[in-house]
Formats: sequence, structure tokens, C-alpha cells
Amino acid sequence: MDPQLTEVSQLFERFKAAFIRNDYDSCANLLSQLKVLLTKFRSLPPLFENTPNAINELLLAREIYEHAVVLSVKIEDQDAFERDFFQLKPYYTDAGSRLPPSPQEYPILGLNLLRLLVQNRIAEFHTELELLSATALENPCIKHAVELEQSFMEGAYNRVLSARQTAPHETYVYFMDLLAKTVRDEIAGCSEKAYDYLSIDDARQMLLFSFDQELLEYIKEEHPEWEVKNGFVFLQKAKESAPCKEIPSLQLINQTLSYARELERIV
Amino acid sequence: MAAAAATMVSSAGGLLAMLNESHPQLKFHALSNLISFVDQFWPEISTSVPIIESLYEDEEFGQHQRQLAALLVSKVFYYLGELNDSLSYALGAGPLFDVSEDSDYVHTLLAKAIDEYASLRSKAAESSDEAAKVDPRLEAIVERMLDKCIMDEKYQQAMGIAIECRRLDKLEEAITRSDNVHGTLAYCINVSHSYVYRREFRREVLQLLVKVYQQLPSPDYLSICQCLMFLDEPEGVANILEKLLRSENKEDALLAFQVTFDLVENEHQAFLLNVRDRLSAPKSLPSESVQPVPNDPTPAQNENPTAPEDIQMTDGSAAASTNVHEADPKEVMYAERLTKIKGILSGETSIQLTLQFLYSHNKSDLLILKTIKQSVEMRNSICHSATIYANAIMHAGTTVDTFLRDNLDWLSRATNWAKFSATAGLGVIHRGHLQQGRSLMAPYLPQGGAGGGGSPYSEGGALYALGLIHANHGEGIKQFLRDSLRSTNVEVIQHGACLGLGLAALGTADEEIYDDIKSVLYTDSAVAGEAAGISMGLLMVGTASEKASEMLAYAHETQHEKIIRGLALGIALTVYGREEEADTLIEQMTRDQDPILRYGGMYALALAYRGTANNKAIRQLLHFAVSDVSDDVRRTAVLALGFVLYSEPEQTPRIVSLLSESYNPHVRYGAALAVGISCAGTGLSEAISLLEPLTSDVVDFVRQGALIAMAMVMVQINGASDSRVGTFRRQLEKIILDKHEDTMSKMGAILASGILDAGGRNVTIRLLSKTKHDKVTAVVGLAVFSQFWYWYPLIYFVSLSFSPTAFIGLNYDLKVPRFEFLSHAKPSLFEYPKPTTVPTTTSAVKLPTAVLSTSAKAKARAKKEAEQKASAEKSSGAESLSTGPSTGKGKSSGEKDGEAMQVDNLPEKKAEPEPSFEVLINPARVVPAQEKFIKFLEDSRYVPVKLAPSGFVLLRDLRPDEPEVLSLTDAPASTASPAGGSAAGQQSSSSAMAVDDEPQPPQPFEYTS
Repeated sequence: MDPQLTEVSQLFERFKAAFIRNDYDSCANLLSQLKVLLTKFRSLPPLFENTPNAINELLLAREIYEHAVVLSVKIEDQDAFERDFFQLKPYYTDAGSRLPPSPQEYPILGLNLLRLLVQNRIAEFHTELELLSATALENPCIKHAVELEQSFMEGAYNRVLSARQTAPHETYVYFMDLLAKTVRDEIAGCSEKAYDYLSIDDARQMLLFSFDQELLEYIKEEHPEWEVKNGFVFLQKAKESAPCKEIPSLQLINQTLSYARELERIV
Repeated sequence: MAAAAATMVSSAGGLLAMLNESHPQLKFHALSNLISFVDQFWPEISTSVPIIESLYEDEEFGQHQRQLAALLVSKVFYYLGELNDSLSYALGAGPLFDVSEDSDYVHTLLAKAIDEYASLRSKAAESSDEAAKVDPRLEAIVERMLDKCIMDEKYQQAMGIAIECRRLDKLEEAITRSDNVHGTLAYCINVSHSYVYRREFRREVLQLLVKVYQQLPSPDYLSICQCLMFLDEPEGVANILEKLLRSENKEDALLAFQVTFDLVENEHQAFLLNVRDRLSAPKSLPSESVQPVPNDPTPAQNENPTAPEDIQMTDGSAAASTNVHEADPKEVMYAERLTKIKGILSGETSIQLTLQFLYSHNKSDLLILKTIKQSVEMRNSICHSATIYANAIMHAGTTVDTFLRDNLDWLSRATNWAKFSATAGLGVIHRGHLQQGRSLMAPYLPQGGAGGGGSPYSEGGALYALGLIHANHGEGIKQFLRDSLRSTNVEVIQHGACLGLGLAALGTADEEIYDDIKSVLYTDSAVAGEAAGISMGLLMVGTASEKASEMLAYAHETQHEKIIRGLALGIALTVYGREEEADTLIEQMTRDQDPILRYGGMYALALAYRGTANNKAIRQLLHFAVSDVSDDVRRTAVLALGFVLYSEPEQTPRIVSLLSESYNPHVRYGAALAVGISCAGTGLSEAISLLEPLTSDVVDFVRQGALIAMAMVMVQINGASDSRVGTFRRQLEKIILDKHEDTMSKMGAILASGILDAGGRNVTIRLLSKTKHDKVTAVVGLAVFSQFWYWYPLIYFVSLSFSPTAFIGLNYDLKVPRFEFLSHAKPSLFEYPKPTTVPTTTSAVKLPTAVLSTSAKAKARAKKEAEQKASAEKSSGAESLSTGPSTGKGKSSGEKDGEAMQVDNLPEKKAEPEPSFEVLINPARVVPAQEKFIKFLEDSRYVPVKLAPSGFVLLRDLRPDEPEVLSLTDAPASTASPAGGSAAGQQSSSSAMAVDDEPQPPQPFEYTS
């Protein structure tokens, strides 16, 4: 076996051991070393050279990146997740035909969809979705994300929150928590527009909190501009600050007329 | 796995993500991979440009990595079409930007970089401010490119870039390192004339070229001297000439003569005089002549018996010289050669030879004139004088004034200014007749002080004529003209004298003459003032002296439009060829309130940028052509385009084609003349196509302009090379004969027939010399000619632009030996147009009175029929002349009719199907289009010093022992034949002309009323 490959495999074993120990610091450290070593393999994307060990190297690299993605979820680092996921992706898309399918593929793809949902990047979410095959869409991991998105769009926020319990994979929990927050932010934004004020009770229900305490904490952290007074939450302060701008209709009409006149003159 | 090999990445996302990794090695990996995929994935990468940019700016990052990042960004920007950003990052990429890479990216950026660099360099040069700094990285890239070109032996490319970027050091390197230095130098001269727009820079380039030339083991003196002339360094030319003259070798002397002839062709009078004065007189002290230092300014310049021009030198040392008289054979030889070269430099030799050539080869068709004369109404003075103009132009420089002599009665109808022009016409006919010019004109000249009986008009005309005879070579006549000017206060005579003086002293910037003319100007008489204004300009041509502002001031002061116009043109003449230097003056004139001065501004633009095809000038002229309120200014602006573009005649029809369809007749007129001027003598097909519709324009003066322009374009083109020439001739005839045609267009047609057959059909209009220099006299002549719109006598200025189309071979003695060479084309392509009146001539021999009795109409009909059914008529005359096939036949028939003239000049060996070549005998007519077919015979006795197909060429005699046969000068037998002329039957030739090689002055004739 190629000495380089052996070296990487050994390092990877140490990484996995650390991973199981939940020793994330040394994991990150080892991962970075692994990535540097991987750049030496010419069979990996984007070069895809046909070296004798190509398949082994590709498989190993894929596994490393899969672990990297999971690791990034564990340490709750979204940027790292995105980075690693993009580096992993060519192994699924471009090299997919040459490698045996990975068991981790769908959960990771699902995770990515979830991440996009959390970050409210709906357009990219759908782009990714379009790239998936019909069979992939049947996979529970993917399906979960798709359903979440539908509920989210419909405004069935309670369903979104309750879906946390049905997460297909333990890594999903992190994103589900984040999603709940996204949902709340959404609701808060809407209420701000819709109501001048709300009773604390209504507000709690609206924002899907079980306790008043949670609500007050949320207000304090996310919306310090809201005012809590006499059992009511006043939301409208923000509203006043943005007066509706009048459309300068007269000016526009005049302009358009003069353009028309000029055009006539040119011809 | 077959598919495996074809595995391709589908996205650069992974690599882009890798850029965000913290480990520098990963970033580097990502960068280097992205570089190789950028061609494919630039759309994806473009969104991440900010990240890559930040990598480039990251100080922590290694130098190489940063450059890599810069290269990547540069490529992305290139694909995005942001060339400026792309270039600035490519500069950041340093050595990674590989100039030798063969890709669109590199090519585009290189072009961009060179453009950028060139514009920076020229901006820096223009502001003459070193502060305008050029990015050293940019400079490095361009230099790398230049080095690469030189390495790859692409010298022309390297030279082009070097010139563009004003890198004379690189230019020199490219030239000296090229394998064919002479070829490269020639190319470079060419380039510097056609593409270097700034005058000063061109000077620098030429200076460099001269330097390089001189370092060569075998310098090309012809080219060096051309360069030196442009640089206005008579010193250098004089040195070279002297060195050649002092050489033992006869060939060197021949070369010196050749150089001089080439210089003379450019008509730069002041320069030539300067060179002449700088040639040192021969030394006869033996001790000194041992050291042949060419330009040793020893005080012991001795008597020079053979160079009578140097009077002042002779005077100084006459006493000391006598005792050492015939000291050194070398010096004697030098002195002899010096005389010759001075003769050439003064222009006398070439003028004399030209005169002989034009006289002996004159083929003008008097019948055309006769037809015109008869068809023109007696009372119509415009057409009457137009005929006189046409006659003068047709016979320009031939000294043949038979027509005038035969029609004295008719001529006498010219009164007042017409008389002025008629007299002045003699000057055109005798142009270049330097020796006898004055005695020729004597009968008409003002009789000193006595206030003689002559009319002031003929006296004025005679002075003007003297100027025309001595145009640009007025050394001998200046004084006389000055005296005449001072001794009169009749404004007509002043008018003539001013014009004459201006012509004779063209471009000499003589202060005294200037003052004389100025005093005439300040009399504020309209007629004299106009001529004075023009004359001042002629005197100061191309000097850009501050006199211009003086003239401008007076133009503002005076009330007379005529004077303002004269001055405006004069001011324009002073900035001739000064390009950017003239910009302030042009600006001043074009912004003036007075349309006449703006009109002068157009001329100033035209002349300052003559033949440069300068974009700025063209843009400005086009702007005025469409935006000025005055028709005169617009007309002139369009016309001026012709002057700016004459070095690239193919461009003009394209540029003015839209203007020629303008609703404004003045603009159309201008367009016609612009084409006429810039395409003169080329016979360019596009030009003819553009002019054709204009010749039948609805407005009379447009027709006039178009006819004249057409004639200028078609001069010396015959029907065989473009069938439209024949059509045009017929059209002219029709217009002249048509009773109902407008006077204006009739006049145009008459003038056009004159120009079409100018100078006995042996001259063309040429504004560029063979070395692509501009001919001052010719350009000035046409510029003043175009003024005939206001003042008909100025038509004669067109004669200045005529240059003989001849090959004149000269031996060491500057004589014309018999020498044969080949024109490798069908003779019919370039032969003289057939005499219009082949049938009439035949009948004329038999019945001399028949022609005179025929009415013009019948004659016209006869002629038309003759053209159509020439063969039929001929067959009846026991001689079958099928129109096309052979010159030989035509000639032999002509012979029978008594036209013996061509017998020894043109081949008539056989009457078989037309031969594909023609043997020409020195001196021969070689029209410009024919030049490329000229071949020299290999086994000939003479070998040309310079392989030029026309002009004056020195011949080296390979068999100097054999006696020489001279074909022109000393061969009375051959010159005797022209006595017959072309219309032998009617011409009572003066036998005196035939005997002498110099035509004698014609008998004075009087106007009888």
C-alpha cells in the first residue's frame, strides 16, 4: 500500500478515536492535518487523475470529509459545515459513479438542506433540491427536510416545532433548535407589523413559548425595543419610526410626459 | 472503468470552500487548482472574487501565493469584461503573467497593457512632465513583451510597439539586432511617416534612424539624406554629399547626384539652398588636400573657377589662389563635380531636363481646344477665359503656345482681368523656362518708369507669369519682381507682382520681400491687398513665424473682405506642416466671429496636418463641416479633408461619401474637390464612382467642382485601364457643346478638359514625392488653386502641383544617354489617349480647310460617329483600324498622317496582336500606374544607381570606353520631329524650335482690339 495513504489512514484512525472520545479540539487539529495531506493526492477532485489507488484514496477522502461535516455540526460551526460540505460534494456528484454509495450520503444532504432552511436561504434550498434524484427524495432524511420547508412556508409553525421530536438523526437536533429560533423570529417580525400591542398571554402563545419567563427572556435578548408594560407587550414603537413614503406622482407624470415629447421630436 | 477517465468536476464550489480554510497550504492548493479551472468556472468564482482579492492583499500570505491570487482575480475580471481591473491585477501577478502564453486572455491583456503604456508615455511626453509616473510593473510587462518579440525575430512587431510606446532605446535594439538592418530601417521610416502623429516624436525617431544608419558598414545615403531633410539638417546632408563627391570612385559621385535629385524632388527650396551654401569650396593647397577631411572649415578656401555661384567666396581669396591653381587633380575633379551638384541642388538641372522632356514629348491635342473655342459663345467671357486657362494648363511646361499664336484675334477679346489671366497663362506654358523667362515676357512687362503704353492688366499678368515660371526657384527673378512692385502704385500691377513674388520666393521667409509686400497690404486696396495676403503666406510657407499674428491683426482691422480672405489663406499657409504647433493659431481662427477667418482656419487645419491623416484634424474638420453656420466654412472644411488625407487616398471616398449626399450643395462641392485633391492622379475606382453622380448634380457649381475633381482624379489614366475615362471625355464634350448648359458647369468642363490633358499629357498631379514626403509646392499650389471659387486667376496655381511622369536616366555628365528598358505590360494600358480626331486629322491633311468650314455641331456629330464607327470609316480609308487591338497599327497609320514624332520614341515593331511588353527608351513617359511594371534589362550598358521606376535616375556606365549616344539633349535630329506636333496639318511650327535644343522665345504678339 502507498505509504502516503497509510499515513493518512493512520491519522484518520486517530481522528476517529478522538471523535468518539468527543475530544473536539484534537479532532479539529487532526482534521486540518488530514486535509493538508489530502491535497497531495492527485486522484481527488478537482484533478481526478487516474492513479492506481484512486478508488481507495477517494473513499478515504470521502469518509474524512463526511466526518468533518459531522464534526462541524457537533462543534456547532456553520461556516465550517458549509466549507466541508462543499468539499465533500464532488465525491457524491462527480465521483459518485465510481464509488460505492456511502451510508452517510443522505443524512448529510438532509443536514445541508436543513442548514439552508435555518439560514433562510430558500432559493439555494430549492436549487439543491432540484439536483436530487427521485429516489433520494424518498429517503426519510431528505423527506424530513422537505416537509419542514413546506410547513415553514405554509406558516404551520407549530408543526415545525413539533418536528424536532421526529428528527431522523441525532445530528439534526442542533439545526432543529436553530430552526425554532428562526421560526420565532419570523413570527416576531410579523407580529410587529400586524399588532400595535399584545397581552403577554397572547404573545406567549403567539411565539409558542410555554412559560412567560421564556418570553420575557426572548424579548430582552432579541427585541429590546419592545416594551413590556401593564401585562402588555407594546410592539408599535418600531412602527412609528418608519413612516410610509409618499410617491412623488406629479413629478413622475411630468417626467414621463417630457420623455414622450422628446421621443417624438427625435423621430 | 472507462467513464472514470472522463470524470470531470462539475463545480468549483469545493475549491472555493477550500479558500476559506484557515490553513495556508489549503488556500494555496485551492488557488493553484482554481487557476487551472478558471476558464470553465469563472462564473462561480466571480462571486468569490472578494475573498481572493483579500488573499492578494493579505500581507501574511507568501509572495508567490499572493501573485497567484492576483492572477486568478485578473482572469476572472477578464472574463467579466472588466479589462481595466483585470490589467491592474495582472500587473500584481508579476512574473506569473506569462507574455508568451498563447491564449486570448494573454493577448487581450497584452494589447491592453501596451495601449495603456503607450498612452501614458505619450501623455508624459506631451505634458513634458516627468511627474506623470508610469507604473514600473506595467513597464516591466511591456519590456518583457518587447524582448520576447526581439527574441522571436518579430522585429517589425517590436518596432511597432517601441514606436507606439516611445521607447527609442528598444527601437534601436530591435533595428540593430534584426537580420536585415536595411529592410528594417526602410520599414521604420515608412512607419514613422504614416503612423507617428506627433511631429517632435517623429523627429526623434528619425534622428535615431540616422544614427543607426551611420553606424552601418554600408550606409544607405539615399535614405539618410531623406531623413536629414525631414529633420532640416542641411549640415549633415552637405557632409555626406561632400564625402561622396570627394571619393575616388565615380560611382560615389553618381550616388551623390542621385541623392541630390531625390532631395530636389521634395521641393524644399530653403533647405536645398542651405545645403548648397554649406558645401565647401574645393581646396587647392596640396598640403591640405592630402587629408581628405570632408568638412574641414579651413579658412583657405580658394578660388573656385567652376562654381560661379560662390561669388562671395571667390572674392575673399582670389589673390592667394592664382599661384596654386592647378594643384591637385582630386580637387579639380571635386570642383567639377561640385558644379554639377550645385546645378542640381538649385533645381536648374532637373527643371531644364523636365522642360526638354515635356517639350519633346508634348502630345496635347489642339483639336480639343479648337472644338472648345468654337463651341463657346463669343460674348461669354467666363467660358472665353476658361478656354484660355484650359489651354495654359494643357500646355503647362511644354513651351508650346501655338494655340494662342494661331488665335490672336480671338484672344484679343480678353479684356481687363481676362487679359491679366491670358498673359499670366504664358507663365504656365513656359513654366520652368528659367533662362529665358524674362525675355519671353519682356513685351508685356511694365517698362521701367516710362509708364509705357501697355495695359496694367497685361503688365500685372506678366509679373504673375514670371512668378509662375520661376515658382519655387526664384533666385534670379526676385529682385526684378521687387523692383516692379515698388515702382508701381497701380493695384492691378501690384496684384500681379505680389503673386509673382510670392511664387518666386516660396518659403524663403525673406524679410525684405516681406516688408515690401506688407507695405502694399497696408495701402488697404482690396485688389492688391488680397494678393499681398496670399503672397505673404507663400513667402512664409511652413515657417510658423509670428508674422501670422501680425497678419491676423490686420485682418481684423480691415474692412475689405477680399483682403481678409487673402490674409486668411496666407495665415493658413504659414503653418504648413507644423501639425500640433499650429493648434493655438487654428483654435484662434476657428473661433473667430468672422466667417472668412474661420474659413482660413479650415485651410490652416488642412495645411498644418497635410497628408498626415491625423484623426484629431479629421474629427475637427468633420465637426465644422456639419455645424458651422457659414456655407463657405462648411465647404472649405470638407475640401480640407482632401488635404489631410492625401497620403491615404483610399480613405477619402469612404469618409466623404455621406457628405457627398448632403442636402447642402456647398458641402457636396467640397466633397467633390476633397476627393479630387486627395485622389489626384490615382484613377481610384471608388473616387470615380463617388464623383460620377455629382457630375450631373442639380446645382451648377457642384457640377463644376465634380468635373474638375474628376479630371484631377483621371489625369493620365487612359480608356484601357478604366472605361469610365472615355465616358467622361464624352461627357465633357457634350457639356461644352450643349448650348443650354449653365455657364458654371461649362466652365468646369472646359477646365476639366484642360486638367485631363495637362502638360501635354505628360504630367500628373502628385502631392507626395516618391519617398512619401510631401511636396510643398504641389500642396500649396492646390490649396491656392482651390481658392479659384473667388478669384479665377488663381486657377493657374494648379500648375505647381503638376509633376512630369517620366523616367529620365542620366549619365555621369548629367546627359541623357540612349538607354532601353522594359515596361512589362500591354502598351495599350498606358499609352497616350488616342487623339480625339483621328478621322478629322486625316481629312485635314487632304483638305486643310475642311475643318475650319465645318460648323461645331457637324463636327461634334462627326466625332461621335467616328468613335462609334471608327472601323467603318477607317476601312473606307484603305486602312483598317480595329479600335482595340494594337498600338502598333495605330501608330503606323499615324505615321502615314505625318505624325512622325513618335518614330524614335515608341516601339512599332510589329502589327501583330498586342505584345505583352513594351521597350521604352530613355527619357520615357512612365505613368504612375505603370511604375510597377518597369523592369531594367540585365545586359544593358547602363545600370541604374537606384532602382527607381520613374523620376531622375543616375545610370552607371558599364562600358565607359564606348562612345555614348545621347537621346535627348544633343540630338537635333530627333528633336526636329516634334515640329509636326500632333495636329500637323494646322500647325505652322516655327522651325527655330526644332533646330535648337532650347526652344526659342516665341515672337511677341500684340493684342489688337
